[in-house]
Amino acid sequence: MSTTTSTVADPSTGSADTTRKRGARRDSRSRSTRRVDPVYYLFLFPALAIFTLAITLPAVLGFAYSFTNSIGFGDWEFIGLRNYVAMFRDQGIVSAYLFTLGFALVTVVVVNVLAFILALGLTSRIRLQAALRTVFVLPMVISGIIIAFVFKFLFSTTLPSIGSALGIESLSSSILADESLAWIAIVVVTAWSTIPSTMLIYIAGLVTIPDEVYEAASIDGAGPAKRLWNITLPLVSGFIVINTILGFKNYLNAYDIVVGLTDGGPGTATRTVAMSIFKGFTGGDYGYQMANAFVFFLISIVIAVIQLSITRGKASFGA
Amino acid sequence: MSPSSPPRSPLSRRGLLAAGGLLAAAGLAGCGGNGGSGGSSGSVIFYQSKREAIQYFDDLLGTFRKEHQDISVVHDIATNLSASFVRKNPPDIACQNYNLEMARFMERGALSDLADMPEAVLIRDDVQELVNWYPGYEGRTSVIPFSVAGAAVIYNRRIFEEQHLEIPTTWDEFTEVCEKLQKADITPIYGTFGDPWTVSQGLFDYTIGGMMDVRGFFQRVNELGEDVGPDSDTSFQKDMLKPIERMLVLKKYHQDDAASRFYGDGNTAMGNGEAAMLLQGPWALAEIEKAGSTEDLSCFPLPVTDDPADLKIRVNIDLSLWIPEGADRKDEARELLSFLMTPEVMDPYNKALLAMGTTKDAPPAKDPRIAPMQKYYDDAAFYQGASQFIPTTIPFTNYLQSILFGADPKTILAKVDNDFASLAYRS
Repeated sequence: MSTTTSTVADPSTGSADTTRKRGARRDSRSRSTRRVDPVYYLFLFPALAIFTLAITLPAVLGFAYSFTNSIGFGDWEFIGLRNYVAMFRDQGIVSAYLFTLGFALVTVVVVNVLAFILALGLTSRIRLQAALRTVFVLPMVISGIIIAFVFKFLFSTTLPSIGSALGIESLSSSILADESLAWIAIVVVTAWSTIPSTMLIYIAGLVTIPDEVYEAASIDGAGPAKRLWNITLPLVSGFIVINTILGFKNYLNAYDIVVGLTDGGPGTATRTVAMSIFKGFTGGDYGYQMANAFVFFLISIVIAVIQLSITRGKASFGA
Repeated sequence: MSPSSPPRSPLSRRGLLAAGGLLAAAGLAGCGGNGGSGGSSGSVIFYQSKREAIQYFDDLLGTFRKEHQDISVVHDIATNLSASFVRKNPPDIACQNYNLEMARFMERGALSDLADMPEAVLIRDDVQELVNWYPGYEGRTSVIPFSVAGAAVIYNRRIFEEQHLEIPTTWDEFTEVCEKLQKADITPIYGTFGDPWTVSQGLFDYTIGGMMDVRGFFQRVNELGEDVGPDSDTSFQKDMLKPIERMLVLKKYHQDDAASRFYGDGNTAMGNGEAAMLLQGPWALAEIEKAGSTEDLSCFPLPVTDDPADLKIRVNIDLSLWIPEGADRKDEARELLSFLMTPEVMDPYNKALLAMGTTKDAPPAKDPRIAPMQKYYDDAAFYQGASQFIPTTIPFTNYLQSILFGADPKTILAKVDNDFASLAYRS
């Protein structure tokens, strides 16, 4: 997405972008010297207060509990770093991390590629464009757990019976019951339910590219592939960055679809980190899973920082 | 409109300030509320969430209200129990399944002593003893068992009769029955391995309970704690390997697609007479009945040894009564407890939900579907499911599923030892 060694892409877009940014900065500086109406703070205060009370405070408390043997209620005592030490010895936790990271990576790629292709199709001059856009966005309005239950039935009953009717050996048993294949089902269902929102962001990006740019490129003799690679992709790179970062964050937190489809099974093959953390609440392993949640939080931040630093300054939001 | 411009709009700045302040106050007040089961403070909160029994208890409370006009009772079916204890706002009385999770409340002294209640003496000693399988609070009767669910192998009497099969009482007889059924092209056992809990409840608990001293084993590993492992005198990998290998022998008597079948599928199949046996508890019988099945079902304990004297059934404390130490209305709660412990309440419950009575003079189960278990229940030939004593933070049911799907039992059991020791290390 950052290959900019091209003949068609205008090298001035980058510099124009930076001048615009500089101008914006000057603007904000001059504005900050003016007195800010306290009403703005009052508007923000309720949300900030609720956020602090409902998110920040519990998170800090949770972090403190990660050094205890608390089971969620009743007496507890500080046990130092024991929870953290135990975490690294826990094969279940380590494999949950590996599965979650792998799943997030694969799903981000699959979702973004398919969503981009769909967005390209739905922004071209096709018939029934509005109707088709509606159809493709439909999965977005169904809740994850319901999608998961419907697909669970399809994977464990419908697909195998089709497979055995057609005599296809590999399809005639449920992939949800296969430890080495169940993850594919989860990727498919997650993709099915999250492609629409990703696609919408791509559509929003694609419509910002003016037709003139494509016309100019055609006159210069650029074919469809070249236009896609050298105009479309660089100009929507900002949207690609947004979609990857948001997507990765969502897939790292995968929970509802996995619970509905496999509940972490077969065996522990598809157990995600979020599921382990949640099981700690019901299983009385509160302190330990708080430690897990904190480590997971750190890892998520590191990943986000890496993603941002790779793409910083290279993203473009339309022409 | 730009809010920083002079106030031309009908909304004055003072008005906005006031609105903002009100919103903030409302937000804060919303956080400070104490919500939860203590909402209607004038009433006794009765917590009971076993889905199949909600209607039954709802009707009962109607009767109770008529008899005790001075006490108002609210039926709570949805509060999260752990959370209510954390908030120091537990229900006044509960009638709930008793298991390791519930034992945590008892162990930390959150439940009041009921030993002085006349109802406490009515309970059969061996049934009251089931509570003590779990960690408890020294010297207290914190929990009174209300009903016990007995579980064994559910079988189709019509199929057994048609195939001229006797009820097996030893391991060899059992496998022989399975072989004969397979020869007659009948699925011997219907498996629902897609739902891991059905594997631990049935196959696992029945084989372990039939071969091992469940209580002794868990007492010992809990004593060992951190030291449980390949070198300890008792461990999962040492003691459970044989029963699990036996359990795996039974796998071949299940239908081919057992791996992708779920709890509901098993009930449907049994209801339609598609399989001869199902390893499930009485709750499945109730579901099959609801589906309108006319199949003639009954049950027998799974034989896992060569000695018919070893036959035992699996039991669990289906419902138990307890009153938290932090209850606001203990006296009224005790009155409700006494009402619930009358035969007029308990006996119809057990009859309707296919459970077993817990009192010394409870009538025996007459329903043909569960009646064969009564003999074992009376003789205390029972065990509580081994899977119930492994903390849920260890994904044991999922491990079991892996074993069924082909993982090496030795490796997995070593993993359980490791998880168990690690849990002891950090608690």
